[in-house]
Amino acid sequence: MVGILGPNGSGKTTLLKIFSAVLRGRGEVNLNGRSIEAFGKRELSRLFAVVPQESQILFPYTVAEIVLMGRASYHSPLALEGKRDLEVARASMELTDSLSFSDRYLHELSGGEKQRVIIARALAQEPEILLLDEPSAFLDLKHQVQVFELMRRLNREHSLTIVAALHDLNLAALFFPRLVMLRDGRVYRDGSPKEVLTEKTIEEVYGIRVRVEPDPSGEKPQLFICPSP
Amino acid sequence: MNQRNQIITVYLFAVSLIVLYCHNILATEALGPQRVVSLAPSVTETLFALGFGDRVVGVTTYCDYPPEARRLPKIGGFTNPSLEAIVATRPDLVIGVNDSSHPVKTKELEHLGIKVAWISVTSLDDILNSFKSVARLLGRPEAGERLVHKITRQFEEVKKRVAPVPRRSTIFAVGLRPLVAVGGKNFIDELITLAGGENIAGNAAQPWLNLPDEYVVAKAPQVIIQAGMGSERGTSVKYWGDLKSIPAVKEGRVYSYPSDKILRPGPRVGEGLEEIARLVHPECFAESTPGLNRRSGCEGSRP
Amino acid sequence: MIWVNGLLLALLVLSIVGCTLLGPVRLDLSQALQNIFSANPDAEILFRARLPRVLLGAAIGGGMAACGVVLQALLRNPLACPQMIGVSGGASLGGILGLILFPHWLLPIAGGLLGEISWVPLTAFFGALSSMVLIYRFSLFHGRLHPYHLLLSGVIFNAFIAAVIMFLNSIVDFYQAQGLLFWLMGSLSTRAYLTVGFIWAYIVFGFLWLWTKGLSLNLITLGEEAAMQLGVETSALQRQIFVASSLMIGAMVSVSGMIGFVGLMIPHVMRLIVGSDHRLLLPASFLAGGIFLCWADTLARILLAPAELPVGIVTAFFGGPFFLFLLYRDGAKRLAL
Repeated sequence: MVGILGPNGSGKTTLLKIFSAVLRGRGEVNLNGRSIEAFGKRELSRLFAVVPQESQILFPYTVAEIVLMGRASYHSPLALEGKRDLEVARASMELTDSLSFSDRYLHELSGGEKQRVIIARALAQEPEILLLDEPSAFLDLKHQVQVFELMRRLNREHSLTIVAALHDLNLAALFFPRLVMLRDGRVYRDGSPKEVLTEKTIEEVYGIRVRVEPDPSGEKPQLFICPSP
Repeated sequence: MNQRNQIITVYLFAVSLIVLYCHNILATEALGPQRVVSLAPSVTETLFALGFGDRVVGVTTYCDYPPEARRLPKIGGFTNPSLEAIVATRPDLVIGVNDSSHPVKTKELEHLGIKVAWISVTSLDDILNSFKSVARLLGRPEAGERLVHKITRQFEEVKKRVAPVPRRSTIFAVGLRPLVAVGGKNFIDELITLAGGENIAGNAAQPWLNLPDEYVVAKAPQVIIQAGMGSERGTSVKYWGDLKSIPAVKEGRVYSYPSDKILRPGPRVGEGLEEIARLVHPECFAESTPGLNRRSGCEGSRP
Repeated sequence: MIWVNGLLLALLVLSIVGCTLLGPVRLDLSQALQNIFSANPDAEILFRARLPRVLLGAAIGGGMAACGVVLQALLRNPLACPQMIGVSGGASLGGILGLILFPHWLLPIAGGLLGEISWVPLTAFFGALSSMVLIYRFSLFHGRLHPYHLLLSGVIFNAFIAAVIMFLNSIVDFYQAQGLLFWLMGSLSTRAYLTVGFIWAYIVFGFLWLWTKGLSLNLITLGEEAAMQLGVETSALQRQIFVASSLMIGAMVSVSGMIGFVGLMIPHVMRLIVGSDHRLLLPASFLAGGIFLCWADTLARILLAPAELPVGIVTAFFGGPFFLFLLYRDGAKRLAL
């Protein structure tokens, strides 16, 4: 699990897009020794799944249809979805707790429910790597925590590599063992939360003053904001 | 000169000026408008046919008959004449046709002090009356009467020729895709009747209508006349050729005949009638081939 | 939901038969059937005047609806329709220029083969191809076809073409002006089985090819990046869809003028009935479009008998209110507008 941090404009989204071969960067991206340029789009979609920050879907699809679209690269374009596809979709929806509204239309759902559906679609791709762009951005506190717990569960129980761009530093510190801090498009710090989230780093990258204290377990740092008096 | 002679000279001078001035005015009124603009080809032809060709100072771009009209200044098209161009010719009178132009133009022209006259050319009676109206407007009503007489004679001539033979059902069209045909309330419909034909769309309310092919097949006309500009000989025969149940196709009476004489509601309408009659009843006109006369039985038709 | 397509197919066949039997003129069916090959008026009305026309209507209705579905997906815009991408404007202009500038000198050379009637569709199709290439170049952005640019260039191109057509309208004479109306409002009037057969083959082939892209169309409506991440080669797909639909629209407009509204309305109506999965939506729209246009043309023939209306007027006149009624009934809840 890797969390990518940084202020707006530092390049978090761009980095994810480069990883998923949507954008082309100046350097190289290698997966298991091969450059990702060498992979075809279908093959890539079986390895990477992306959960974007926002999904604007203009056409009326049901939740089930959306999740099934994740299976597109597993069956021939001319065939309808098979039994395996339906099973995987169902399992993905169960995992994200979205099975209960599988028949409803996407635009009828709340922000949190929609997010879960998109994650379910990503899971239906049966990827090895899950890329998420600020997955908790529009969620309330309960659902934010739920998403982070889901990410951890996917990593531990389903061996998914998770790479997520995050803006909530405290939640990132609690759940992610490795954090990468970006600043102006470059890597500023890369390491464990204790190493990355220091008062000095936060002030240099974000420009605000904080106080860092360990959490009750003593392992992970938590930030306390010190607003000016 | 002594004082008395001076007074007499001045007096005579003044009187002669007054006489000349009055004579001028009277003369102008008697002569009618001297600068006339035509807003339609048929009006141009009418003006020339009535002998007023020298008074025409502006015509549309479509006015091509008589040939002198082509050299006159142009004031625009049929549906969109240019106000500026009209005014530039400094007309006394502007004559337009009811069925086409914008009523707006009338107001604008009248605001500028230009007299406008609209003539109706929907029916043959309208057309004949229009000759009289124009002649009256221009100050020589007898010219109108003469023209009406001449054309009425032409009509009678044709009517006499086709009288002995039974009518032939006819369709007169001006376009192929879509098929636009003459309906009722159209002077061409009347011409067809005078020519010894019977317009298959004659009881329609519209003067022109889009007809589907199946209607033509059902009405089985004996003569098909295609008069659209640009119809070359052969295109209409090719178009109707496969509908062999139509009598006109079977008997070879499908004609492509673009003609301004038929289509313009003007002074050549008498010649236009003869053209239509020659197409509808060729047997009544074939003086040069006497054999034809005997076969189709147009007896007794001597000019 | 697959049974819906079977039902639609049956309805299409019934519509073709029904519309052939209807018309402004009363038909003696037994006479017509007995004398198919002789010069019989009833047979000629049925088989030479009506049937080719109805068949053409079915093909063009289906083609327009299918292109509408595909364009709405490609441009990610529920208001997209075949009229919008500018190809129809190019075809109309090509056809009108062909009509006005008909080379009379060519006739003696080519004989009957290149009559005025067959020359015009060729110039129209050439106009469609030229405009397709032009719009393609305008919309290329960093080597990718951007839907927004495509829509914009299409709309602007169409506006320009409309102005040119109006300009031509003011300089041609009354009789040629009637011909212009054909391009703007459409007409299915035809008697050439060769043309009908050719159009059928062309459109069915195009439709089947588009149908194979059904899944990719679903994905591309999720957004260009999402589609890429789900395995779609988006730039290639966009190019292919644009070319395929342009070719289809160009051919259709060349033969029948611009018949609007079918490509906009039918996809939405069918979406309300069968959902947004393009693998189902495409065939459903294709069949429904054919049914709709057959009946619209029948109405165009019957409404003001013996005169006939341009079919484009009927499609707009009846299609609009019907669509509003459907929208009201099923509610905006089923349309993400």
